[in-house]
Amino acid sequence: MDKLKNIAGSLRGSILSLAFVFYILSFALPCFARELSFEATVDNNKVSLGSRLQLALSFNSSQDMPAPDLPAIDGFQSQYLGPSTMMSIVNGKVSGSITHNYLLLPMKVGTFKIGPFKFERNGDKYTSNQISVEVLQGQVQNPAQPGSQAVQEPEIGDLSDRVFVTMQAKKNNLYLNEVTQLTIKLYVNRLGIRDIQYPEFDHGGFSTAAFGKPTQYQEARNGINFDVIEFNTSIFGLRPGEFKLGPAHIKCNLIVQKQRKRNSPFASNGSFNADVFDDFFGRYETYPLDLKSGDSAFTILPLPQDNKPANFSGALGSFDLEVTAAPLEVKLGDPITLKIVISGEGNFDTVGVPKLKSEKGFKIYEPQVKQEANEKRFEQIIMPMSPQVKEVPAVSFDFFDIGSGQYKSITRGPFPIIIVKPEKEEEPKIVENKQFTSAVPVKEEQLGRDIIYIKDNPGHLKKKNQYLYGNKILLASQVFPLLIYLLAVVLYVKQQRLKTDLRYARGLLAPRKARAGIHQAKKYLEKAEVQKFYDTLFLTMQEYLGDKFHLSSKGITVSVIDEHLRKEGVVEEALTRLKDIFRECDMVRYASSQFTQSNMRDSLKRLEEVIDYLQRKKA
Amino acid sequence: MKKISRIFLFTFLAAVFIATLCLRCSLAQEAVKTPGSLFYQANINYQEAKYDAAINDYEKIINSGLESGNIYYNLGNSYFKKGELGLAVLNYERANVLIPNDSDLRSNYDYVLQALNLEPQLSGVWFERIVYSLFRNMDIDSLIILLISIYIALIALLILNLFINRLKRFSGFIAFVLIALFILPAFALSSKINYFNKAAIVISKEADVKFEPLENATTYFKLNAGSKVEVVEKTEGWYKVKRFDNKLGWVNKSVLRQIVD
Repeated sequence: MDKLKNIAGSLRGSILSLAFVFYILSFALPCFARELSFEATVDNNKVSLGSRLQLALSFNSSQDMPAPDLPAIDGFQSQYLGPSTMMSIVNGKVSGSITHNYLLLPMKVGTFKIGPFKFERNGDKYTSNQISVEVLQGQVQNPAQPGSQAVQEPEIGDLSDRVFVTMQAKKNNLYLNEVTQLTIKLYVNRLGIRDIQYPEFDHGGFSTAAFGKPTQYQEARNGINFDVIEFNTSIFGLRPGEFKLGPAHIKCNLIVQKQRKRNSPFASNGSFNADVFDDFFGRYETYPLDLKSGDSAFTILPLPQDNKPANFSGALGSFDLEVTAAPLEVKLGDPITLKIVISGEGNFDTVGVPKLKSEKGFKIYEPQVKQEANEKRFEQIIMPMSPQVKEVPAVSFDFFDIGSGQYKSITRGPFPIIIVKPEKEEEPKIVENKQFTSAVPVKEEQLGRDIIYIKDNPGHLKKKNQYLYGNKILLASQVFPLLIYLLAVVLYVKQQRLKTDLRYARGLLAPRKARAGIHQAKKYLEKAEVQKFYDTLFLTMQEYLGDKFHLSSKGITVSVIDEHLRKEGVVEEALTRLKDIFRECDMVRYASSQFTQSNMRDSLKRLEEVIDYLQRKKA
Repeated sequence: MKKISRIFLFTFLAAVFIATLCLRCSLAQEAVKTPGSLFYQANINYQEAKYDAAINDYEKIINSGLESGNIYYNLGNSYFKKGELGLAVLNYERANVLIPNDSDLRSNYDYVLQALNLEPQLSGVWFERIVYSLFRNMDIDSLIILLISIYIALIALLILNLFINRLKRFSGFIAFVLIALFILPAFALSSKINYFNKAAIVISKEADVKFEPLENATTYFKLNAGSKVEVVEKTEGWYKVKRFDNKLGWVNKSVLRQIVD
């Protein structure tokens, strides 16, 4: 019995031990199950005799792999340099790798195959790729120093195998508006490349997004390790048909080490003109490069017209729909928020607002839209306006599923709601303060919001679309202030002349004074006062002629008239008349009784005619 | 003879009575058709929540060739109550041309934009936006009157400068100030006229802006009701429009309405 118990106990112990081992293995196995890749790369596939080559054997997804024993490689001698490890975290996943570096010295000229290398550990066998390396007799492209990325000047000619650009789309057969990722990669092998600009490419027929932040990593291509700069963008076709995208151009600068020229010691400019620092550091120059990729052919297919839903608004992709409504118990006229989330993959620019099956009994407001990388959120306010409303109608979203090539429709809801009768609103309590007469509500007041009521009068009615700037009369009348200003300028100039130009001032005043004199003379004529009449006439004539011709009025005599007025071109008849009037004035002093009113009138008329003549002559 | 004269008098009085009655009737009918009475009738309809009838009456006044800021304001309110928010925005914008300093209008306009999840956008470069903000509360006619006043003041200053020697010392500075005062409202006026003549509002719930003026062309972007755009070009049935972020596209004429027809 005891034996049986012992056997049962030992069996239980064995089972438990086995379970523990399986438990441990269940954790350990996934580690071993991880795919371990073994890769061989060289830093250059062309090398000259006497120079060196670096071979790297990399184990990805593990950091505890020992250095493989390198077999004899035909044409080379090898030497182990040491390991280097790398750890990377991508999307939260940690991965490590180890690279064992070897130095290879070429021993003879020819083309040699390196690898494939075989490596066995813990019963697992790993096999690397094979690399082809050409060993040449002459000088081959070699970096100036190990680790330096500058090339020497003569090597700029053909670099197409050391620096180039590729362009590749995730998918080349697309539907109209279907988004796909376009990747443009810049490959660089042991060259100094600087000032790399974003790629540019011809994208007729496509809409493209801006490039994201470029990523940098290393990639082995045909056994050669390249530094890669990757640019990603998304594109979608705008028209059905066959299109070509590209080629993509990347502009950058190549850093080149300028070779120092050995000057002849006998040269005239010899060592004096040479830069001493050239001997130590060499000189680096930049050469602009415009790298071009190949182009990429695309076929843009139109969306099928068969079974196209009525509410289809152009959404393309593979989507899911989530709808929530809250609160589900509301008063009439209170808002209900519909949160609609469309998630998945596709062109979210083409995703419109999902439709409610029915809008009856609701007041619907425009939704607020938020777009993120893989989802689009809509927040829509709806208000039940009828007490008969029992549910929020179902929400449906139609899209074209690219994977299946068919239109699909997703419906969520309806959502039952309860419309409660409005209770008597709690009024704010007013607490009287003893110190202050005014009372304030204790509770924070909830203010309502709505539009302000209509106007009760029509306001200032005017003809439609008629503004003052279109009123031609008003526009024309703006000339008047300007005319007034011009008039004022003229007046000002005249005033200034009157002040400074005496001849002009006297000439201007002459007719006015003459008119006053004639007026006075007429009064004496009516009263038949001969002496006074002729005195006035004489004085008027003297003053007029003095002012008119800028002479001293008191000194005007017949001889002066003859002398000055003749020079001014006054006609003989006028001169005679003036002389006659002068004579008559002289005669009156001695024989005034001989002059009748008729003579006086005649004298006055002659004077008026002469003044009129002289005024007109001036004009 | 007396009998004949009585009959004549009676006939005359009857004719006068009938003529007066007819005149009153016709006057009453005329009164119904006046813009003022249409406005009050529309207001009554609005009060009775007959928004369609109110809209009809307000639009009758506008179709008769008359307009006022208050009519557009009431029309905007009516469309808002009816739930046509795009047309409400359009009419508030039209009211804004005539009564930009009306606080009720500003409040309602902001409220509608909020309901539409839109924000007022000022277009143009920074200088244009500053000048526009400075003279936002002035309508076009007020700006013209202001400009004419400054112009007359400038002329008066020049005239006085000719005849008053004391003024000459300050006239240069005053003229500079007046010219600066003239340039700012002139710029604001030019911007306003340009804006009102080109701006348009989306009146349908949603509008597809396409790459080409064709129904089956690819949609570039969508515009919601009440969104404001600038009309750049017109073809038959299509408008080329520019959004506030300078994106250009073609939109069907029927979904847009210009602020100034």
